[in-house]
Amino acid sequence: MGLLFILPWILGLLIFTLYPVVASFILSFTRTGEGSAIKWVGLDNYITAFREPDFFRAILNTLILSLIGIPVAQIMSLVAALLLNVKMKFQGVFRTIFFLPSVVPAVATGLLWKWILNPRLGPINTFLDSIGLAGPGWLADPAWVKPSLIIMSFWGIGGTMVIYLAGLQNIPTEYYEAAKLDGAGSWACLKYITMPMLRPVTLFNTIMAIITSFQSFSNIIIMLDMDGGMKKAGLVYGLYIYTNAFRDFKMGYSSALAWILLAFTFVSVMLTYKFFNRSGDQEVS
Amino acid sequence: MRKMILVLLIMSVAVISFCAKEVVFWNAWGGDEGKALDSIIDRYNKSQSKVYVRSVYVPIGMGEKIMTTLSGSTTPDVITVWDWMVVPLGYRGQIVPMNDRLAKAGITSSDYIKGVWEYGTYKGKKYGLPTTLNVSAFMWNKNAFKEVGLNPDVPPKTIKELDEFTDKLNKYDKKGALKRLGFDPVISHIYCYVFGGQLWDPATNEITANHQKNIEAYEWLSSYYKKVDLQKKRIFQAGWGDLFSSLNPFLRGEIAMKEGSQWEILIAKKYGKSTFDYGISNFPAPQGGRNDVCNVSGSFWVIPTASKNQDEAFEFLTWLTADKQAAEFAAALYNIPPKIKSLEDNAFKTIVDDKMKIYIDMLMNGYVYTFPMLPIGQAYLTELTQALMDVQLGNKTAKEALDYVQERINQELKNYK
Repeated sequence: MGLLFILPWILGLLIFTLYPVVASFILSFTRTGEGSAIKWVGLDNYITAFREPDFFRAILNTLILSLIGIPVAQIMSLVAALLLNVKMKFQGVFRTIFFLPSVVPAVATGLLWKWILNPRLGPINTFLDSIGLAGPGWLADPAWVKPSLIIMSFWGIGGTMVIYLAGLQNIPTEYYEAAKLDGAGSWACLKYITMPMLRPVTLFNTIMAIITSFQSFSNIIIMLDMDGGMKKAGLVYGLYIYTNAFRDFKMGYSSALAWILLAFTFVSVMLTYKFFNRSGDQEVS
Repeated sequence: MRKMILVLLIMSVAVISFCAKEVVFWNAWGGDEGKALDSIIDRYNKSQSKVYVRSVYVPIGMGEKIMTTLSGSTTPDVITVWDWMVVPLGYRGQIVPMNDRLAKAGITSSDYIKGVWEYGTYKGKKYGLPTTLNVSAFMWNKNAFKEVGLNPDVPPKTIKELDEFTDKLNKYDKKGALKRLGFDPVISHIYCYVFGGQLWDPATNEITANHQKNIEAYEWLSSYYKKVDLQKKRIFQAGWGDLFSSLNPFLRGEIAMKEGSQWEILIAKKYGKSTFDYGISNFPAPQGGRNDVCNVSGSFWVIPTASKNQDEAFEFLTWLTADKQAAEFAAALYNIPPKIKSLEDNAFKTIVDDKMKIYIDMLMNGYVYTFPMLPIGQAYLTELTQALMDVQLGNKTAKEALDYVQERINQELKNYK
């Protein structure tokens, strides 16, 4: 009887998740030939990837965006969480305001930021212009594409912030009281109590951020073009998979790319684990 | 009484659906254009009782929906796709070649405007029928010409003149930011043909990216951007409004000379100020180049292999692309019908004015070409665009960049032999 109730979910998982996953794995070893013939090409698609300049460009762009974007976004959401954890009037209202942007769909966010960052008509450059500064070209300038994308990603820190907030509230107040009796200031409290106690939350947030950052796609295709803008400065991995599949019709190759992404994500997550464990040990010793 | 009407209604619906086969047609036009197409289809549905065509509006976009539906076993019977999708889909066996059916229906190349029959064909297989044609010509803003002291009725005839005019028409503000772009070349391959080059050799079936004349065209295109800072242009461009609105940069005088399609006549009528005046002509060409280049692009109607009503679908398509219907639809889109007789049809003649005549003349008497259609889709075009960017940024010489494209696309094409 219990099985019957869970059956819809199991069927959904099997048909809409497991089947596509398996199919894409098999497809990644094939190429579509003339007619509807599917040719088995072995590891060819995987080898091709490592010969493509765009493949490395996409990986590099994604890594730069992640390595700079994730730590800064984590710090910003932690700061926001700490501020919003302070007891004050309208606390709920402020929390809602900070969380709100992360509810906006990616496409709407992309369109909004495309306008905000418009070098001629956007509010940022209009403001800079009014105080006599020349604003950058933002998305029109290859050197500014990545900073623009990173700035935009801070717009969505609401989700991470809420998790930090929950983590903060799980820290027993006794620790702080005891520390204060011993004469600890707020910096010491943050460093020796808050941060270590938040470690599992930070780990979780970082891993989730890595996964989403590696898959970033929708707002980038809205803000830039299919090639990731001028000089392909915004060609991220997700965009590269997409153009190969839907513009160049290479389903096998893009399936292979997707599996390479999975491997990369796995390695990155394992490294993050390692890093967090080690830094934890040092603190204990 | 009411019950009886209801029963009758249900019965008649049942009878109709039992008798008439339903042909599902994915059309790609919304708004007024969609309405015009639907009224044409309505006429087809009323004209016979064998087939009922159900028209569904599905924008093509990047073709994700189309790719998805073609992978399944239940597909629509007629789909609208971009021209560059036709051969990749045909090559992969997802849409059917129409050669036999066209021959049986007595439709031949002589019905079509010269050069259009080969459009959408790969290795002799004709995978679809063009919906309407989109032609590019040279457009110039007469008001801007007057402002800088040029004769507004005389467009540049040579590349040298074009360069001189561009220099005069570029306009900057006090801070050095662009106020008006003299000339805006967007479809770079047009200039390869203008210079006398080609992207594809039909005789040998080989791509010719690094044709000597293409290299010259690329050198010229990049010299153009040495004058107008690419960065400045991008920033200026970011402020351009929607083409289909009064913020259209050409209508606002932000671009003085450009490539323009015939549908922009309608845009200018709809959104241009009454004082706005512009001209249309052939592209200026260098010595030894082609001064009658006519670039054609557009969309196609295709029949999926998985369609269960291929014969009915084809019959409907022959009706829809027949001279009169093609003329009506092209008129609604402000495009040009692909068939010769449609050009003479009154339905199309309603939109033919002096400006449209120039386009038709280019199409009938000019050097007509379409971007080569290969099984690799847009990859060739993407590489050519990237190559131009590399040349403009000074990363590569025109020859290096185009040699690279030639090698890379040939490498890619080896998988499709």
